[in-house]
Amino acid sequence: MLKFLKQVGDYAKEAVQAGKYIGQGLSVTFDHMRRRPITVQYPYEKLIPSERFRGRIHFEFDKCISCEVCVRVCPINLPVVDWEFNKETKKKQLKHYSIDFGVCIFCGNCVEFCPTNCLSMTEEYELSTYERHELNYDNVALGRLPYKVTNDPMVSPLRELVYLPKGVMDPHGVPDTDRRAGQLPEEILEKSEK
Amino acid sequence: MNSGIDLQGIFIKSLMDLGLPPGAAKAIWLPLPMFLMIIGATVGVLVTVWLERKISAAAQQRIGPEYMGPFGVLAPVADGMKLVFKEDILPAQSDRLLFTLGPVLVVIPVFLSYLIVPFGQNLVITDIGTGIFLWVALSSIAPIGLLMAGYSSNNKYSLLGGLRAAAQSISYEIPLSLSVLAIVMMSNSLSTIDIVQQQSGAGILSWNIWRQPFGLIVFWICALAECERLPFDLPEAEEEIVAGYQTEYSGMKFALFYLSSYVNLVLSALLFSVLYLGGWNFPIPIDLLANLLGVSETDPWLQIITASLGIIMTLLKAYFLVFLAVLLRWTVPRVRIDQLLDLGWKFLLPVSLANLLLTAALKLVFPFAFGG
Repeated sequence: MLKFLKQVGDYAKEAVQAGKYIGQGLSVTFDHMRRRPITVQYPYEKLIPSERFRGRIHFEFDKCISCEVCVRVCPINLPVVDWEFNKETKKKQLKHYSIDFGVCIFCGNCVEFCPTNCLSMTEEYELSTYERHELNYDNVALGRLPYKVTNDPMVSPLRELVYLPKGVMDPHGVPDTDRRAGQLPEEILEKSEK
Repeated sequence: MNSGIDLQGIFIKSLMDLGLPPGAAKAIWLPLPMFLMIIGATVGVLVTVWLERKISAAAQQRIGPEYMGPFGVLAPVADGMKLVFKEDILPAQSDRLLFTLGPVLVVIPVFLSYLIVPFGQNLVITDIGTGIFLWVALSSIAPIGLLMAGYSSNNKYSLLGGLRAAAQSISYEIPLSLSVLAIVMMSNSLSTIDIVQQQSGAGILSWNIWRQPFGLIVFWICALAECERLPFDLPEAEEEIVAGYQTEYSGMKFALFYLSSYVNLVLSALLFSVLYLGGWNFPIPIDLLANLLGVSETDPWLQIITASLGIIMTLLKAYFLVFLAVLLRWTVPRVRIDQLLDLGWKFLLPVSLANLLLTAALKLVFPFAFGG
């Protein structure tokens, strides 16, 4: 009889404990309700990508020397460099250049290794198309000026959390002139050079 | 004690004054509250869907529906319209009759149960003697519909979902009815009106919430399980069995399932407030307030205020419980099927039985406090 009562007591204790844990969980959920939403209303608001963002690759046709370094450093040899040897100038002459962004993994190796800096990263990330072959950008498409969130009159750009002034958590209504928290990279560089 | 506004009596009397026979006057009255209740239940579903989406969003630091009407209140309307205009697909080699009958059998009992939900002394469609028992009986029809829907879909997920729904509903029905039985024993009546009347003595202090703390927890857990709300949503667990018995449904038939699940949630919340939270009663007895202010009990203004306050209080209590259900949804993870049955048979059933016995004992010992 005593053993049975003990069992009942233990069981009741466990049930109470389970109830307590559910109560704690509920209080956490309830607490979340008073926090501000972190929603970015996407087509109307967009986050400003960070300066090291690796978006669509920009290509400058006239700078390219057709060295094919980009092809060699690419994990899948993706860039297509179509050149012809010009016998008069004794130089390679570039005819076409293309990168297929449906296959590209945006690792940035080509940009890193390009000896003439004719490749560069942009902050363009809205690359969706209706057909995958449209993602195969030729040198004209690669040479287009990149879309910038801050230049679009239809979009209100929002700063990411680390780019906000100190103590500010909400990017809405923060003026452009407000400095981000901490030191800028160039300031750190300046200080270390002194 | 004054019984408040009697709309039915006044309506019938005024029609009879116009020269109609009593039978005809009653027949004209009859469809009005039913129609009103169906509209009310459907609007209640729209509100609940919107609340669910907004509260879920708030709990996850999102905004939720925003552009469809002010604060996105038209989002559930848009959902409904979409479902109305969708093609009604019948899966290959399914049982046409059972496939159609399933959602109908699920939705009708839920709406029928609104017959007994009181919003005031006379603000109820029908005050039948079996009252709360009608709800218990009607809610056991739903698993048959779910099983039909699952079985006739010619889909393994549907069958699994239907079987799970049936197992869940059947095992949680018993503790649910036992906890209701404890209330019935205290109020000596099955009628929902009498159950609320019995709690209306001393405002918030006389509500059943203080006399039935265990029954209340058991009832709420079982109600969540009956509604297939999140800790117990195994029959439609999308990670395991796509959408359970709803997998093959689309268009209006799916809408019926969707509707019935939310109507059921609101119904459970309403009945919870009737059984445990004093129904239409204000936390402070209105008679007392009226006496303090020196207003006569038969004052028509007081009666109108009492009636509207009763409706507001019932809805407030019910929607507080809906809010709790939504909050629980984002707090508690889904239980496994063995845990579900363990909880139902090994915990809730003994607890509700013990609660029933305890209530009986307390009723014998303290007849003044436990409705002797």
